[in-house]
Amino acid sequence: MPATAFEQVRAIASDVFGVPASKLSTGSSPETVENWDSMQHLNLVLAIEEKFGLQLDPEEIEQMKTIGAVATLVDKKLQSAPR
Amino acid sequence: MPIVIQPYRTDHESAVAEFNLRLRAGGEDENMVFYRSSEPRWLPRRSDSSIYNEFFVAVDTSSDKRAIRGGYALKTQEFLFPDGQVRAIGYYHHPLSEGLVNRAHAMVGTLLLRDAMQRSPLLYCLGMGGYDRPLPQMLIRLGWTHFPVPFYFRAINASRFLRNMETLRSSPARKLLMDLAAFSGIGWAGAKVLDGYSGLREPSSSAAECTTVAAFDRKTQDLWDRAKERCSFTAVRDYEAMRILFAESEAHLSRIVVKRAGKMIGWAVVGERRRDAKYGEMRVGSVVDCFALAGEFLAVARCATHALIEQGFDLILTNQSHQQWGEAFRKAGYLTGPSNFIFAGSKQLAEMLNPFESIRGRMHFTRADGDGLPKNY
Repeated sequence: MPATAFEQVRAIASDVFGVPASKLSTGSSPETVENWDSMQHLNLVLAIEEKFGLQLDPEEIEQMKTIGAVATLVDKKLQSAPR
Repeated sequence: MPIVIQPYRTDHESAVAEFNLRLRAGGEDENMVFYRSSEPRWLPRRSDSSIYNEFFVAVDTSSDKRAIRGGYALKTQEFLFPDGQVRAIGYYHHPLSEGLVNRAHAMVGTLLLRDAMQRSPLLYCLGMGGYDRPLPQMLIRLGWTHFPVPFYFRAINASRFLRNMETLRSSPARKLLMDLAAFSGIGWAGAKVLDGYSGLREPSSSAAECTTVAAFDRKTQDLWDRAKERCSFTAVRDYEAMRILFAESEAHLSRIVVKRAGKMIGWAVVGERRRDAKYGEMRVGSVVDCFALAGEFLAVARCATHALIEQGFDLILTNQSHQQWGEAFRKAGYLTGPSNFIFAGSKQLAEMLNPFESIRGRMHFTRADGDGLPKNY
């Protein structure tokens, strides 16, 4: 069974922020994840773009306020991408 | 779409003032403030100007008061490229994000940079205070091409230099030695030896005439036309650019014209740097910018240095990316030190500078191309 967008995003965020995946939930945000600062936010954006082959525009980057929001965004982008 | 990045307008000014207060309250340095006025005091955009500054702000449209969460400045200027074409490119500077003091806004730094890259894909940054700062780290992560622009310094008053130079006083033993050297005059003697050695290496340029002028005249155009080929990549330094960047009204700058046999062979712009704790009580001068015909770099470096010595500075600094300018300043008695003045170019810009390593030594970037003008260079 393929991993869900949330599981994949959580794994990426775990790598970027250096925290165990088990400690990240849909509600995890810069306010609750210690290493989620400006630099790591950029790293998260770049890692998501690389992993899923996406290009995120500024409006979408702005939506990435929680892990759950990132997963929802990725899901939406993947579904609307041409196959 | 709560965060919208848009041109800074007068009606944003009160929200910017509140943004600045939040940065201060969050513990940021008092110098970390975004521009209070939406109209750039330096290089405002005019219909006939090829060099101009614009400000942009990140507006939080989800807040009742449409709070400002960050901002940046973008200077647009014409550059001469390795293919001989002149193109307008962007200089991204003074970015500030509320993410510095509130991680709820951690995405603002990325949004600002991406916005600038969309507005001006041929984008560069310069200065930035060292590789350990967040901005250069972001640029490296984005795959920008980068290098430190070499730093040169010359101690004029050696005893004051040895007593004050905090960056060299890194250990108690070295501090003691430097104090002893300064007290005993050894430092002064050492600097004199260095001067003498440098003098021996210099070819004679005694026929060069150094003149301080109130404003550059149209001869700078001819100099640009004749000398630009020595540079692989440089901001256009023609008469129009000189008139805008080093306007007569900028009275804190000295403009030096260098002639030989009555013909202009180069120019330099020098001035006093803002006081900085790391230089202690020293008066620090800067060779802000320079340009010269082939073979005349040393004459200009010496004229610029002489002008600053005459003005009574204890220490002179300059940053020069062009190898031949670096050699000229070394021959004029300058030493090199670690540089925190970093050039970084976007991927799109770097593609036009390929092969980068072969053109890098002839790129002409100075402190005049950084975020320091018109006051802090």
